[in-house]
Amino acid sequence: MHYNATLDRTFFALSDPTRRGILERLGRGPATIGDLAQPLGLTLNGVKKHVGILEEVDLVVTAKVGRARECRLGPAQLEDATEWIDDYRRTWRRRLDRFGSYVETRDAGR
Amino acid sequence: MTQDVPFAAVINARPEVVFDALTEQDGQEAFYGEPGWTVESECDLRVGGVWTVTFGPSRDEVYRHDHVFRVIDRPRRLVLDTSERRPDGSIVEYETEFTFEARDGKTLMTMIHRGLPTAELREEHLTGAAGGFARVQQAIEGSPRCS
Repeated sequence: MHYNATLDRTFFALSDPTRRGILERLGRGPATIGDLAQPLGLTLNGVKKHVGILEEVDLVVTAKVGRARECRLGPAQLEDATEWIDDYRRTWRRRLDRFGSYVETRDAGR
Repeated sequence: MTQDVPFAAVINARPEVVFDALTEQDGQEAFYGEPGWTVESECDLRVGGVWTVTFGPSRDEVYRHDHVFRVIDRPRRLVLDTSERRPDGSIVEYETEFTFEARDGKTLMTMIHRGLPTAELREEHLTGAAGGFARVQQAIEGSPRCS
C-alpha cells in the first residue's frame, strides 16, 4: 500500500464536511451548482470552489447543461483510500498488541 | 481540520515498567518488529533528542521513524514529533503522544496520532473499532535501556 500524492489529494478532498455533504447530495442524483448552494447555505462561488476540489480527484464530474453547470458523482474509486485506512489501523493496533505482550511477559519473568 | 486518532491497550504492568520498556531496544523490537523483520532503535531520551527507529523485512525495504522528544514526563507521558519515511520514499509527519495511566495495578497505555493529513476521515473509520489486545508470548529479558 503506497501513500501517494493522489491519495493525499483524495483524503484532503474528503476531509471537509461541506464537500462530503456535496457528495452525499450527488449520491441521490445530479444537481446544478445552484441546487447545491441553497441547502448548504453557500454562495455559488463557494460551491464552485468545493466542486473544483472534488473534480480534481474525479470524485465529481461537471458538464454544461443549458445555462447551468450540472454536477454528478465521478469515476474515482475509494478502494485505495479505504485500504490505506484499514492497513494503518491494523498496523498500529498490531504494534500495540505486540508491545503489551512483550511487557507483560518480561515483567512476569522478573 | 484534524482530529486525534487514538489507540489504547491495558497492559498488566506498572506505568514505570511500560514507560521504560517503550524506549528500550527490545521493547522497540516488540513494537515494530513483524516476524522476521529487523529493528534498529537509537534513542536520545531528552527533550529535543532524536529517537530513530528503522525497521523492515529486508535492507531493501526499510521504514524509518524519526521522533523528536517534545515532552518527557516519566512515567506518565511522552510527546514526540514523528516523521515517518516509507520504502516508497513518501513521508508522513504527525505528532505522537503516549500516556501511561495507572489502573488497578495495570497500565492504560494510549497512543494518539495528531495532525495526520486525513485525521478527520480516519477518525470516522477508527472509532469504534473492536479493541481486543491479544496476549501473545515471547519473553525477552535483560534488555538494555536506550541511551
